[in-house]
Amino acid sequence: MNDHTTNLLDDSAALNLGELAPRVMRLSAIVCAIALGLALALGLGAGDGMRAFQFAYLQNYCFVLSIALGALFFVVLQHLTRAGWSVVLRRLAEIMAATTAPLLILFLPILLPLLLGSWGLYVWNNPELALHDELIRHKLPYLNAAFFGVRCVLYFGIWGLSARWFLNRSVEQDVARNDRLTMRMQAASAPVMLLFALSVTFASFDWLMSLDPHWFSTIFGVYFFAGCTVGFLASLILAVAALQASGRLTYSITVEHYHDLGKLLFGFVFFWGYIAFSQYLLIWYANIPEETVWYLARQSAGWQFISLALVFGHLLIPFVGLMSRSVRRNKTWLVGWSVFLLAMHWLDLYWLVMPAYSGNQPILGLLDVCCLVGLGSALVGLSAWIASTRLLIPVGDPRLSDSLAFHNV
Amino acid sequence: MTTTASPRETPATPRLVALLAEFDSVDELLSAARRVRDAGYERWDAHAPFPVHGLDDAMAIRPTRLPWLVFVAGVAGCVAALVFQWWTNAIAYPFLISGKPLFSLPANIPVSFEVTILLSAFAAFFGMFALNGLPRWSNPLLRVRRFRQATQSKFFIAIDAADARFSPEATRDWLASLGPAHIDEVRDDGLDAALPKPLVWGALIVAALALVPPVMIAKARVTTGGQPRYHPFFDMDAQPNLRAQQASHLFADGRAARMPVAGTIARGELFDDTALYLGQRRLSAAERQEQAVAEAAADPNQPPADVPPRDGYAWVETLPVPVSERLMLRGQQRFNIYCAPCHGLTGNGEGVVSVRALELQQGTWVPPTSLHAEHVRQQPVGQWFNTITHGVRKMPGYGEQLSAEDRWAVILYMQALQRSQDARPADVPPDVLPQLQNSP
Repeated sequence: MNDHTTNLLDDSAALNLGELAPRVMRLSAIVCAIALGLALALGLGAGDGMRAFQFAYLQNYCFVLSIALGALFFVVLQHLTRAGWSVVLRRLAEIMAATTAPLLILFLPILLPLLLGSWGLYVWNNPELALHDELIRHKLPYLNAAFFGVRCVLYFGIWGLSARWFLNRSVEQDVARNDRLTMRMQAASAPVMLLFALSVTFASFDWLMSLDPHWFSTIFGVYFFAGCTVGFLASLILAVAALQASGRLTYSITVEHYHDLGKLLFGFVFFWGYIAFSQYLLIWYANIPEETVWYLARQSAGWQFISLALVFGHLLIPFVGLMSRSVRRNKTWLVGWSVFLLAMHWLDLYWLVMPAYSGNQPILGLLDVCCLVGLGSALVGLSAWIASTRLLIPVGDPRLSDSLAFHNV
Repeated sequence: MTTTASPRETPATPRLVALLAEFDSVDELLSAARRVRDAGYERWDAHAPFPVHGLDDAMAIRPTRLPWLVFVAGVAGCVAALVFQWWTNAIAYPFLISGKPLFSLPANIPVSFEVTILLSAFAAFFGMFALNGLPRWSNPLLRVRRFRQATQSKFFIAIDAADARFSPEATRDWLASLGPAHIDEVRDDGLDAALPKPLVWGALIVAALALVPPVMIAKARVTTGGQPRYHPFFDMDAQPNLRAQQASHLFADGRAARMPVAGTIARGELFDDTALYLGQRRLSAAERQEQAVAEAAADPNQPPADVPPRDGYAWVETLPVPVSERLMLRGQQRFNIYCAPCHGLTGNGEGVVSVRALELQQGTWVPPTSLHAEHVRQQPVGQWFNTITHGVRKMPGYGEQLSAEDRWAVILYMQALQRSQDARPADVPPDVLPQLQNSP
């Protein structure tokens, strides 16, 4: 493809979304509106007080947001480690991370009903529950709608503002070519990483763990984070492949970058498995009913097949499949595995969220598909919108030449 | 370019092992390497002070087999660990841990994971050494003085004499055409081939000695011995303290066990409340005076009181414990257990034991006293207490069976029983009284 000693940057046409942006934005907007409208109609028609809609929406929203959060992690991590290999990929991650701010709007269908007193999704919002349930009563100072709302603002504030900040500094550097901006981004990456860790942890507690307010797991935040990273890395591979298929970034991003993304994907798949097993093992071993209830729900009434599917599909099979160097250097294989792992990540979130909706069998319906398509296209559209006025590579980064010449030994 | 003059071929001349070409720069090395590769040489190597990018391709180095070695070792480790845990926990020594299944996969995963990593790491480390032909005792390359620059500032290519295309003169001439700064001959110094004898003997001796502990253990597992088992960790098992029945030379009577010091009172056994524990109260000086007067005036022919209290003490007249319904119910329960067999449930002396004994007509039975008898009524409660504790006439004492509080509870119930057979209209509740008055 290209001689590694003389890597070229793509010309400016290939560094812009160009006329792809408005087309993608238009298409995404239409698909999103139709899909979410249909989802809303299905939810209203279901006759259960919009519970089915809220659960499906929450699960798919967390799926979409997890990709954006994984992107933010990637950006902050590259600055934290002063990485040179990833510069050509970082703008794409910055763009995806910057979708967290507009995604706040899409969170309102969850937040507003809660603030207005709905407890179809989060049972702890039911004031009568606290009368009978001592445990909920003790958790009320944390699990109440007002504090929940404040925390949501805090999370989106941290994510939105930091993602924006990193994107803006990087874009500023495209023009200014000022190395001091890199110094500033590196210096900011450490405190932002801490804030990221705390905010993602507590967001996962609030939005996912509190679906069963009697249950708790201290490693839950890490578990969600691991899923975010797997989801993002898979998405980035797909995004790069799609852009290269459209004729963009064909020279800048090489097989070496795919190789490293494959390595990271492999590593984080195993990390996810490690954390998932750690959470399971401690609860299994202690066998305390207060904790096992959550896993019992996921081991019965058909959910055990999804659990097994996750063990094999999210851990064992990708682990063996992504182990080989040649697989990681093969774009087709990597794209295939990325699609598969995105599906597995979606299944993981489904497994996290849905047992709280009905302990009964897992059923996949049109509602789930509509929410997925709607929110997924929203993510794509928002990314295209943010990317439309910016270059797809941080051309001003001092480590760009390292990245272009990057070569795995 | 200079050449080290080769010594005349004599029987003593060491064998030629390789030809060494020296270069001054990375680019020279790379281009020379490509030409050596293209010329078809297979057994050769390049040496540089730092990793050179692109040297792998220039030398056509094939991807190493090491990852496969590591993978196989990892799988072997995982399987071995699982089998080991299965055999030990489910077959050889089935042992229930926390109620988990004998072979439980979740519990077995941590060990399996670690052993996988361990064996993979061993394979990677030792495998890398082995694939590099290490350890070598000596490399003839190191005998070439100029080669020291390989870690400083020079680059080398060494073509092995064992290569198929190697010929001492032709290869040397061809190497010269690559433009090296110098060509050296690398000769076998004879040090590389054999393992040092002391090392071989040492390893054999260590291996033989290493067999001794397992053999000893194996022998011990299948034999019995006269000595107690070797006990390496005492964990306070054998303490040099003296126990109750042991002998001791420290004391005249030879016993380790000693009596308590005179006057020792066990906890809870300081019975200092005579009213509670004896049913007696200390008389004041005036009362003692009165008593002395009464004794002096008493009829000498009258039999003395059943059991007199201690000197200077009198029986208590009232219960020294707070009266409550709880005490009453306790007393009822204790009375029915301990007293009723002889004295009857109503206290009239017709308990089942007595009825049976009278049936037997053996002539030795003394019927139990009716608790409603006048002389019993006359006695102060302290005397009742004394009777219950020590017994009287044929009745045994119940002081061992009933605690002091329980005895007072029984006494309270006895008073209730007596009242039941000697009630007055004033004792009847006002709302029930009309019923009694109106009934025939």
